[in-house]
Amino acid sequence: MNKIQLIDTLPNVFQSRADIESDIWNKNVEFEKEKLYLVEANSGTGKSSLCSYIYGYRHDYQGRILFDGEDIHKYSVARWTDIRKKHFALLWQELRMFPELTAWENVELKNKLTGHQTKEQVLEWFEMLGITDRLNAKMGRMSFGQQQRVALIRALCQPFDFLFVDEPISHLDDTNAAIMGQIMTAEAKKQGAGIILTSIGKHIDLPYDQVFNL
Amino acid sequence: MNLVWKLLRQHISIPQFVGFFFANLVGVVIILLGVQFYNDYQALDNEDSFMKADYLIVNRKIGALSGLTGVQNTFSEEDIAELKAEPFVERIGAFTPSSYNVRARFDVEGFVSFSTEMFFESVPNEFVDVESDAWHYEEGSVDIPIILPKNYLDLYNFGYAQGKGLPKLTQGILGAMKLQIQIDGNGQHGDFYGRIVGFSSRLNTILVPEQFMRWANQQYAGGNVTKEPTRLIMEVSNPTDDRITSFLQDHDYETDEDKLDASKTTFILRVIVSIVMVVGAVISILSFYILMLSVFLLVQKNSTKLENLLLIGYSPAKVSFPYQALTVGLNVLVLILAVVIMLVIRGVYLEMFENFFPDLEVPGITQALCVGGVLLVMVSIFNIIAVRNKVMSIWKRKE
Repeated sequence: MNKIQLIDTLPNVFQSRADIESDIWNKNVEFEKEKLYLVEANSGTGKSSLCSYIYGYRHDYQGRILFDGEDIHKYSVARWTDIRKKHFALLWQELRMFPELTAWENVELKNKLTGHQTKEQVLEWFEMLGITDRLNAKMGRMSFGQQQRVALIRALCQPFDFLFVDEPISHLDDTNAAIMGQIMTAEAKKQGAGIILTSIGKHIDLPYDQVFNL
Repeated sequence: MNLVWKLLRQHISIPQFVGFFFANLVGVVIILLGVQFYNDYQALDNEDSFMKADYLIVNRKIGALSGLTGVQNTFSEEDIAELKAEPFVERIGAFTPSSYNVRARFDVEGFVSFSTEMFFESVPNEFVDVESDAWHYEEGSVDIPIILPKNYLDLYNFGYAQGKGLPKLTQGILGAMKLQIQIDGNGQHGDFYGRIVGFSSRLNTILVPEQFMRWANQQYAGGNVTKEPTRLIMEVSNPTDDRITSFLQDHDYETDEDKLDASKTTFILRVIVSIVMVVGAVISILSFYILMLSVFLLVQKNSTKLENLLLIGYSPAKVSFPYQALTVGLNVLVLILAVVIMLVIRGVYLEMFENFFPDLEVPGITQALCVGGVLLVMVSIFNIIAVRNKVMSIWKRKE
């Protein structure tokens, strides 16, 4: 997958609103591989909706979303599974981790499916993000900031053309945020992938190619 | 799959699954036992494997006077046509008697030797349930297949042999021996060998194949064979049908009452077994319902986990698999245990049967296993589809 296009896309709930001032909704927008995007948003402007539309688990929008020129509306279940496994990594704002598993198991659950990262690489990321000591802690017992870091590691345990990170540093200090930015960009570069980052105010300082206001 | 299972086994309710397991076990045992018992009972009843239980033999009543007054005790063609038209009659055939003299000699080496006048009768081949090559007469051959009444054997074994201290004969031994048969008539004489293919407790006559009878009547009785039959054999659709009894009474016909009773017993047993099996099926269906409910509940309780697994790239098939394996595994376990329990119970009742019928040959358990297997496959397919649909509804709920 090389290109994501949004053509006149608008969440159904915004239909009645005439005063939409957005760089994305109701516009023609393109995201390309190897580029770095920042989507800035106030809450309630449909940031998570954008995530769910592109990731194929909600379809309550009008307009079209195209992957390489193909409308994703027609994608089959198998196609979506394939995209989520091999082409599109997502770090949810709400993380979607499994609280009854340990940090390591959460990452392993994904990495076993894709077989993408080595154990050494995963451990190195844990080390870089300063959570090696939480490796065998139950996810439910960890702080949200710690969970965010594990969630990033899990998101990277797969091949991807695009990495979509939804408010990844809302609970992180600047040092860890910077490390996270570093890991993300390095991995994206390695894979030749694009990154779409969202934030509501605080964001990682990175050389963005384009900034959108949602 | 380990980690997936670790996640998805959360909220599994052991009591619910135990409840399902035992309820379904009871249901399946009842079904299998019903099938097996019915088959085994058939073997008892079909000791007489030459005639199905649904066949009735009909003759006219012989009153005290009929012999003297010379009233016909035969069935005319109209009588037969009338019977044939009755709704309870499936098929009908006439007994053809021999129109020549038959003498049989029977020697048991060194022990005993019988010689007796006798007669033959035949019924259409379709009413005789013997393999066709065993029940076949080649014109001109000296070898005649014969079915004897079981009473003859009992008479010998329990009367004659008992009193004289002679060895008892089994059907197997007799089957290996030959009767010497002499036939006279129409100025001709013929020597034959009778090969006993079996004993019948339903037929009170000495039965030979239709082909032999036709040939011998021609050969030893000339044209004088147009006698009307004195007995009819008929297959009825339902031996408990009241119309049979009333028809027979109205026409002064009679049938061997206890034979009718025996077929009634078989029929009623079949009905009872069917009812019991339906009860088993209902229990199974209800238990299956419990299983589905508890799986659905489980899916519901774990829906967030399932949804997240789907979102991180697990396919619906992979996510469904643990629950499918769980239900199918339980079904397999139930079937295995049910077969074992069935075999144990069967062992007990077969022992009882064998006290009454020493040389009883019971059928195998293939049919019961097949029924169990078909049930397993059907229920498992249903389970697999149901779980899959449930998971797909989680996939789609986001729409």
